[in-house]
Amino acid sequence: MPVFYLEIIVVVLGLVMLMVDAFVKLEDKRHIAWIGVLGLICVFFLLFKVEWPTTTESTFWKFYDHEEGTRGFSLFYKGIAVLCTIIVLIMGAEFRGVIQKYIAPPEPGAHPQSGLGEFFALPVFACAGLMWMASASNLVSIFVALETVTITFYVLVAYMRRNVGSLEAGVKYLILGALSTGFLVYGFTWLFGITGSMDLAEIKTALASENVNVAAALFAFGLIIVGLGFKVGAAPFQLWIPDVYQGAPTPITAFLSVASKSAGFIVLLRIAGCFLSSAYLSEKIGAVLVVIAILTLLYGNLAALPQKNFKRLLAYSSIAHAGFLLMALASPPGKSGGLNSPAVVISFYLGAYLLMTLLAFLVMTAVRNTQEDESVDAYAGLARRSPFLAFALLIAMASLAGIPLTAGFFGKFFVFKLAFENGASWILIAAGIIGAAAGFYYYLKIVASMYWAEGDDEADSISVSIPSKVTMVLLMIGILVAGVVPNAILSLLG
Amino acid sequence: METDLTLNHFLMISGLLFAIGLAGVLVRRNIIVIFMCLELMLAAANLSLVAFSRFGGENGMPNYDGQVLLFFIITVAAAEVAVGLAIIVALFRTRETTDVSDVTSMKN
Repeated sequence: MPVFYLEIIVVVLGLVMLMVDAFVKLEDKRHIAWIGVLGLICVFFLLFKVEWPTTTESTFWKFYDHEEGTRGFSLFYKGIAVLCTIIVLIMGAEFRGVIQKYIAPPEPGAHPQSGLGEFFALPVFACAGLMWMASASNLVSIFVALETVTITFYVLVAYMRRNVGSLEAGVKYLILGALSTGFLVYGFTWLFGITGSMDLAEIKTALASENVNVAAALFAFGLIIVGLGFKVGAAPFQLWIPDVYQGAPTPITAFLSVASKSAGFIVLLRIAGCFLSSAYLSEKIGAVLVVIAILTLLYGNLAALPQKNFKRLLAYSSIAHAGFLLMALASPPGKSGGLNSPAVVISFYLGAYLLMTLLAFLVMTAVRNTQEDESVDAYAGLARRSPFLAFALLIAMASLAGIPLTAGFFGKFFVFKLAFENGASWILIAAGIIGAAAGFYYYLKIVASMYWAEGDDEADSISVSIPSKVTMVLLMIGILVAGVVPNAILSLLG
Repeated sequence: METDLTLNHFLMISGLLFAIGLAGVLVRRNIIVIFMCLELMLAAANLSLVAFSRFGGENGMPNYDGQVLLFFIITVAAAEVAVGLAIIVALFRTRETTDVSDVTSMKN
């Protein structure tokens, strides 16, 4: 099956879900989410069965990355998008009560759950955009894929339209997202102007030639890094993250923090790669990336320390992890491939990040279902009320902090190893160490609160539906397996 | 038809449009006006795309790649407005305001 069929299948799946929502009389709209989950599981297995083109004569392949060397990466990022969407749909099905409460009251005679179906269909469309972005090798396809995802997210973030927080988050995301699109497009324009091409491979050659206009190229890179910095949450463009993450429905926060970030990073890797391979630009561009990485590391980790709201804490944690990823990107690439190349290290880190962040959000969704409170205090004494949830959160937090035997440890370890071996600047490494140390404090604070703080022991234990329980167990196994044999993930990268 | 207009003239105007749009986003408080300024920034990108395409071609023909991106930008901008205005209307219904300084209920 040709590789681009995957995206087509996902779009069709989304349309089918919308049609089912419109024309089939369902007792419970949750079944729409199950259709999506089953369809995406099939797509996930099809990822291992794709065929690559033998001839690339047709115009289509100018827009779709098919290089021998990057096939593994494209598929890896498509896999991240699909897995993340599956888990978000499961979370959404769990979270439907809260969503239902904040969307418009149904008209008399309408289905009591009207308006819920789209909430399950939209992430599937976003998934198609994310998958396309993983393969986009042309400025036009990067732009269109990125916007497919962003515009879908505008709707999803503001989905609970009777809830002030969700609406505010939606407006903030809308304005800042559109602003970053403006910067990004203007940067693309200049990149096109300098190189006369939209194709990343041709841009790379043009930037490496000696008659490249260095000032204009740096201007273009500046505009593009502002645009992509917004998307991945790099300082100083991270200001929207805490508010939007806090206000958005929890499943969508998880989607934003994993899928949107990983897609932003693959685009950043591809575009920064074009600039970094040019002898005339690489030094200056590298310096810019180092500064951004240091700022992101320090801001994300230090601002997370005093947080009281768990969702907001995870928002800062997402900025902090963007910092570690940027640290890998800013380290000079080594001669040999494998763990010496930033692309491999970043991909491994994102794989680990997917497992641990989604696990944390799954637990949060379950807790949020029984109580309004999202603060850290709500988790006090959780270990006595729901030992299983507390254990799952313990694993997630240990991995996010980077404790050995978890996937997060190897993620951070590979980043630091890359930085040391390739001689990254010592300030960058120092910022990384400060960040990692601060991380121990604020992640383990939650664990301490769950296991040792006095909580409301009278409260009922929290019930968790079977699908999310199974997902949690699978994610925990994934974290521990990748923490013992990191090659399990690395081998997927080819 | 020969004119004295060069690529620089177009880039200057486009840069000006971009700067006006950005200043509007940062300074103005009304969400609708901010939204118009965002559209202005996209228009700036469109103008410079056309200019680069016209002046960057070979053998008297424009480089059509730039104009293809332009059409996608217009389409995406339209989709963005459709979604954006819907969100602004929903905000107005619950909060009765279109002023960004009122949209600050989330703090620690």
